[in-house]
Amino acid sequence: MVAAAFSTLMTMETEEAQIASGLRRRDPEVLDALIEQYQHRLLRYLVHLTGERATAEDLFQETWIRVLEKGHQYDGKSRFATWLMTIAHNVAIDHLRKRRPASLDEMRDTEDAAPFEPVAESPSPFDNVSAMEDGARIQAALEQIAPIFREVLVLRFQEQMKLEEIAKLINVPLATVKTRLYRGVTALRPALRGHG
Amino acid sequence: MNSNEHGRAMDLLTRREVEGIAETDVRWLETHLATCEDCASFELALSGAEKAMRSFTVMASASLVESTQARVHARAQQLAEQQARTVLIGVSFCLGVITSTLTAWMWWKFGGWVAQSLGLPSGIVEPGVLLFWLLPAVVIAVLMVVIPPTAFEGSLAQRYMRDRLRGMQ
Repeated sequence: MVAAAFSTLMTMETEEAQIASGLRRRDPEVLDALIEQYQHRLLRYLVHLTGERATAEDLFQETWIRVLEKGHQYDGKSRFATWLMTIAHNVAIDHLRKRRPASLDEMRDTEDAAPFEPVAESPSPFDNVSAMEDGARIQAALEQIAPIFREVLVLRFQEQMKLEEIAKLINVPLATVKTRLYRGVTALRPALRGHG
Repeated sequence: MNSNEHGRAMDLLTRREVEGIAETDVRWLETHLATCEDCASFELALSGAEKAMRSFTVMASASLVESTQARVHARAQQLAEQQARTVLIGVSFCLGVITSTLTAWMWWKFGGWVAQSLGLPSGIVEPGVLLFWLLPAVVIAVLMVVIPPTAFEGSLAQRYMRDRLRGMQ
């Protein structure tokens, strides 16, 4: 059991080290393989973050160009997926700042000031959501949530990232990640209920 | 029920799926959820959000992947050429410095001979010697500035440097 876990860890370390080495060399084959491997995950993250497919596709390309340019900064000690999402996050922030200054980071102060407490709200028929498989409907519900909350939901539920990893990725304290997750979940509830 | 207990329950609920929680925490959480309506409601919301998020898929098109790969290749080539040019400038600079250093003694003697032969004052000869001494480096610098980068494309020097860089990688 321990041996298997160790073996998995070693395989992952070797894989990350190989990626780091390939990025340092700017090896086109390594980059092609990475683009193939992470295409859906990266695009999904960007679509959720920006709320627009066309913008997400532009940022998708921009992210890989930045991966190429900054590849030497990846040391292979952390997960490549986390590093990639950090690059994508920064690319998206730059884009959103240029497009509308009152976007991602503007809400930081107000949301950090809010206490992390449960809302006294009656239980909703949220179970209906589990039966709702219409992608467009879910997307519409997600679009109603502020990008900073949506981003945490995507990283947590789709990328299965640890809270600490998310905090590092979006460069905020752990408590803020928890608050955003809580608020994202709470904000998603009425939006989905309205469509239910 | 105090806010600390709610906070702990929220924390455990958010960590349960990905990070995992201890057996004692699982038992405590079950007891708490059985008695706390707010936290039980949050648990439902959390699992609902998770299901909703997981059921939503976004697929990248083949054309997007291909165009991205093409853009990345083009940029990689551009960066390799920039790097080759930087190395070329560095090598040229070093050659200029070496040439200037090796010929310093010769130019100094030549200046002295010219000054002696023509009876020129040192105020004219010394700047002249200095100019000739720095001439190789100055010529290289001027050429590097004046000649556009495109002039190096496909040149023997550039191809040599690019091959060298590839070899180093």
